[in-house]
Amino acid sequence: MGFVVTIFSIVCLVIAWLRSRDRAGGSRSWRCRVRAMGWGVLLLPIAWIALWLFGVNPATVGLLLLCSVALILFPGVAADLAAVLLILLGLYGLAAAFAVYKYARQGVAWAGADFIAKPAAAHAKQVAISWKTSIATAVPHPPKVVMPSPPPKVVNVQEFIVPFRPGPWYAALASTGPQGYVPVLLAAFLFLAFGLWLVPRTIGARGALASRVQRLSETRTDAVDTAAAELRRVERDLHDGAQARLVALGMSLRAAERLFAASPGAALALVGEAREMSSRALTELRDLVRGIHPPVLADRGLGDAVRALALDTPVATKLDIDLPGRLAEPVESAAYFAVAEVLANAAKHAQARMVEIHMRHTGDVLRIAVTDDGIGGADPAMGSGLRGVERRLGTFDGILAVSSPPGGPTIVVIEVPCALLSLKTSSS
Amino acid sequence: MRVVVAEDLFLLRDGLVRLLEAHGFEITEAVGTGPALLRALLTHQPDVAIVDVRLPPSFTDEGLQAALAARRQVPGLPVLVLSQYVEQLYARELLADQAGGVGYLLKDRVFNDDQFVEALRAVAGGGTVMDPDVVSKLLVRRGRDEPVTRLSPREREVLALMAEGRSNSAIAQRLFVTEKAVSKHSTSIFAKLDLAPSDDDNRRVLAVLAYLNT
Repeated sequence: MGFVVTIFSIVCLVIAWLRSRDRAGGSRSWRCRVRAMGWGVLLLPIAWIALWLFGVNPATVGLLLLCSVALILFPGVAADLAAVLLILLGLYGLAAAFAVYKYARQGVAWAGADFIAKPAAAHAKQVAISWKTSIATAVPHPPKVVMPSPPPKVVNVQEFIVPFRPGPWYAALASTGPQGYVPVLLAAFLFLAFGLWLVPRTIGARGALASRVQRLSETRTDAVDTAAAELRRVERDLHDGAQARLVALGMSLRAAERLFAASPGAALALVGEAREMSSRALTELRDLVRGIHPPVLADRGLGDAVRALALDTPVATKLDIDLPGRLAEPVESAAYFAVAEVLANAAKHAQARMVEIHMRHTGDVLRIAVTDDGIGGADPAMGSGLRGVERRLGTFDGILAVSSPPGGPTIVVIEVPCALLSLKTSSS
Repeated sequence: MRVVVAEDLFLLRDGLVRLLEAHGFEITEAVGTGPALLRALLTHQPDVAIVDVRLPPSFTDEGLQAALAARRQVPGLPVLVLSQYVEQLYARELLADQAGGVGYLLKDRVFNDDQFVEALRAVAGGGTVMDPDVVSKLLVRRGRDEPVTRLSPREREVLALMAEGRSNSAIAQRLFVTEKAVSKHSTSIFAKLDLAPSDDDNRRVLAVLAYLNT
């Protein structure tokens, strides 16, 4: 029976292996395929260990069949099952070690639960003692014990009830003595440790993955909303500003064209007006561009852009910026507007006189701390500005923390995980 | 007067060249990239150069970098930087060498060609010309113990116009006072900013610098 089930499980493993090619994206490399199967590849070997430890019985056979089927039908669950099985084996091992220790001291070898004794053929008269005490062979008559060499310290013939067989059966059990628990305990710890190590990589990863997916879909919605709102703002600004001015400009020029012959003086005045209007259109476009992507940010990166920002702030600033290279453009932009918002708050609401900005990139995290000496009491939940900054940073897994007790000081810390792209080449 | 023009947009470059030629300037070379600008500046050493901040190939502040590099090799090489936007950061970098002969203006100041040409001549003459936008932004900054806060409002006005590159007579005209009053104000400004008596042009540059560095 055990043989048949083992063969069946090997066939299942082969099928799972063949199917892993689809999951590995058609790759023939065995490394890719093992990676595609994940820890599920361990499931059947663990079930085989269980079969070997507990002997062939309905429970172990059922387990092996279940695992084989699970590996093929639910390859995603197989890794979780492997972790659970390992932990169960470890726990069983702990109990077994304890039992070996306890019963060996009482002069009784321990053989696990009764059903573990394996019924031998009904005519068997003798039992060979093996060192695997937990897999005893049971015979229907009190057996003649054949001792191995060297002989075990404790030998005991035990009566068993074998399911579905009449009368008591007997098995000879041996133990190496109380210290026999040591290898069992070591094996138990090994199983348990490996199983627990697997949990965050299988079952735990599933939970983490789910919350990650939820967070990503939230921040993605935020990012899309922000981008759409931004585009609407740009469209409105262009429509009401530069576009309208260009229309007026064209009309003024057309009027001037008509007036040229009749009254050159009036035409000249109109042309002057048109020039004025083109100037204003340019100013509006410039402000708009600054709001979309500040030119210094494009030219020089985050460090100099924040320096330029500090220069334009009505509050006195103290800067401590150490960025040895450029960051990804979207991160630079989000961090820049975050600092801009915080600075604006410090000047507008906190009545600060001095703002300190620290900016560092260490261990793939950009960390910005902005401290002001204002009146404090800022709450990101109240104002939409900081909330918007938080959402924009969230797209990059960035966070914004605000500490602002009434009376100040206000400390805003921004952290964004990101890599440095390049080292600075220009010396200035 | 020999001029080098660096501007990557053909229409603007062409317009600038026409405008300058109409005012009697001689265009030594008109270039469209950062490296070409640096080469032109160093080989021709023109009386003045008009430089767009953003130039190819990188389309970042390549023009500014080329101008700064050229001025490191040829101190005081007059450069008028034009840009679609003005940044105090760039203004400071241009002024940092304290050699004078620097201008930094928005591109649309070209619309008023008389003022633009006046500014260009001022830069060529070693003066400092800052865009009113740079200057006006400084007025909104407030600070406690900066030397500029010692100035009276009138003196600030005079200093702001000085930073825009105007001569004493132009400032007098603008403020509806006599030229003598302006020179009295400027002497007082130099004293309050602790600038030792020296060549007046150099002091004007230093005063503007003190102003920008607050």
